[in-house]
Amino acid sequence: MAAAGTSGTGTGSTGSVVAAASTNNVTSFQRRGPRASGADSGCSRLVSIAGTRRSVRNGQLLVSTGLPALDQFLGGGLAVGTVLLIEEDKYNIYSPLLFNYFLAEGIVSGHALLVASAKEDPADILQKLPAPLIDHSYKKECDEDICGHKMESDIKMKIAWRYQLFPKMEGGPVLSSGFGHDYDISKRIPQELIETSKWHGFFLPEKISSTFNVESCSLTSGYMKLLQFIQNIIYEEGFDGSNPQKKQKNILRIGIQNLGSPLWGDDICCAENCDASHSLTKFLYILRALLRTSLSVCIITVPTHLIQNKAVIARVTNLSDTVVGLESFIGSEKETNPLYKDYHGLIHIRQIPRLNNLIYDISDVKDLAFKLKKKLFTIERLHLPPDLSDTVSRSSKQDLAESAKLLGPGCGMTAGGKKHLDF
Amino acid sequence: MLESLLAVGGLMLLRDSVEWEGRSLLKALVKKSALRGEQVHVLGCEVSEEEFREGFDSNINSRLVYHDLFRDPLSWSKPGKALPGGPLEALRALDKRTVSGPATIALDSLSWLLHHLPCPTLCQTLHALSRQDSCPGDTPPGEQVRVLGLLHEELHGPGPLGALSSLAQTEVTLSGMMGQASAQILCRRPRQRPTHQTQWFSILPDFSLELQAEPPLESQPRSDPHTPSVDPTTHLTFNLRLSKKEREAKDSLTLPFQFSSEKQQALLRPGLGQATSHIFYEPDAYDDLDQEDPDDDLDV
Repeated sequence: MAAAGTSGTGTGSTGSVVAAASTNNVTSFQRRGPRASGADSGCSRLVSIAGTRRSVRNGQLLVSTGLPALDQFLGGGLAVGTVLLIEEDKYNIYSPLLFNYFLAEGIVSGHALLVASAKEDPADILQKLPAPLIDHSYKKECDEDICGHKMESDIKMKIAWRYQLFPKMEGGPVLSSGFGHDYDISKRIPQELIETSKWHGFFLPEKISSTFNVESCSLTSGYMKLLQFIQNIIYEEGFDGSNPQKKQKNILRIGIQNLGSPLWGDDICCAENCDASHSLTKFLYILRALLRTSLSVCIITVPTHLIQNKAVIARVTNLSDTVVGLESFIGSEKETNPLYKDYHGLIHIRQIPRLNNLIYDISDVKDLAFKLKKKLFTIERLHLPPDLSDTVSRSSKQDLAESAKLLGPGCGMTAGGKKHLDF
Repeated sequence: MLESLLAVGGLMLLRDSVEWEGRSLLKALVKKSALRGEQVHVLGCEVSEEEFREGFDSNINSRLVYHDLFRDPLSWSKPGKALPGGPLEALRALDKRTVSGPATIALDSLSWLLHHLPCPTLCQTLHALSRQDSCPGDTPPGEQVRVLGLLHEELHGPGPLGALSSLAQTEVTLSGMMGQASAQILCRRPRQRPTHQTQWFSILPDFSLELQAEPPLESQPRSDPHTPSVDPTTHLTFNLRLSKKEREAKDSLTLPFQFSSEKQQALLRPGLGQATSHIFYEPDAYDDLDQEDPDDDLDV
């Protein structure tokens, strides 16, 4: 009581003990509130950055990939600080679309962009981004689709009448509110949006020196330069919190195109036992370390169908957080298959990260197909009929042979070696 | 289709094999470009200059600019004479030389270059060659640089072949049947679906290209169906089709679980004109006929 009396000078409220304690620094209790005294680190302000939202499952900060349908299958969006790896399709037609959606979403949300490519100039890539779509025209198109479906299924079910009460398995895209935006592929993004956005470009043929020296370190020089560039941008612009003067926090969206292709100086696509086979994996490891310590998200497209060594593909998959594979039907025998006639390819969600969680956030839908309409890229659930053929449980010999492809000597590999030797 | 190939810029791969050689097609395309008035540069690595120029008229020969790597690939004689630095420097020199106007560069062959240079380096150099650096933005199609590369596909594994295919705008694979050569053309334009086409052709002695129609297929031995086709719909024990009357009867049938108005009325008026159902039960020896509720003594 005496202590309370002597220390209670000037403060008469019930919180006086706490306030007095903070002035005397006797205890470590601090009042949480909007007008908290002391250091800023004492109170936790929930930072709200434009274009992001918190995940409802684990509170992770999420950004949209640009495609609301893909966000839904990735558990709500991409977590900040992770890598999205896209395995390209064979003729590289659809993976640039996903890449462009990601960048366009960044521009529309006001994030900073970093575009790296060895094939195309980043300025050209930005010119070809899709334009954001005004909401009501897209909704009208969606409604027309649904009306068309309704007309067909007007026949009432007579015997299985209980199923009429079930919701229809439409598989259409989810119109989310405010988080992702919709884009019109047939139009280009307006020039003023690009000019008001903050972007950095990395074009490899300009940055690399003309003398091709043999690299002594295990990272290809192209990768080394790219990592240094990314690190500089993160540090200078303050995405890792190093610049305390920055008031407005923002997300950095990094897009790297065609990583692992020979244009980056990497030969994992050219040979099975290559010298710098750890170059790409080291790059991914360092990149992920950079991303985890800053407010950035990265999208990478890798031509995995060209990589000769399956172990490298597995390592690259393990080193990324989210992995989405695209398989297009062009040129394959699936093109003429009546099952797939409405779609242009399959999407495989190969990996989803487990961040601050004990379980994976996978959806129960495993068969996804995509379709490129004139204006939209849609992802839908593929309804497969049951497989009633004779060879249901038997895997064919051809598949077994391909999955057990051994690493042969480099110069002994002849072209067109799909046949296996049967001893 | 083969003529329109030259309208597309970028890298064109001519994949040949032992049975169907591609050098004559390469020379035919070179002749076509030269007749159009473009600059033509040839990097010769596999055959000598005389052998390459053989068969061309003098006006075409005068338009060809030949860079010879065959005679002295490692530049042992007279260092600094023709092409110092080996094939890589030769390619880079080609890149800087074609500054104005449309040009065609013929690489004879890419296989030789793949064996002497590391594959990523070659890919990067080819990419730099086929891009038009001087004019930013879209260049008119006639102004682009065309790179024709001859590739012997049996000499390489799937790795380098796949890497070069992903770089190429057009891929021509030579094959044929019964002495007639054909070209399978795969055209990959950016952001568009790749188009596939097969074109039969032959090359005349003066290296001009003659397109031909598909040769008539020989009568292939067909396996005749010896088994007589049996119609499975005959001799059935059930009806496969419904007559009109049967269909009407089927439609007007009320199904047992359909809640129609008659059923509703019948349920709402119990026992009117209907025999109520009785249950007849004979108690067993072990049955407990006590009517009291056994749960009564539970204090729930």
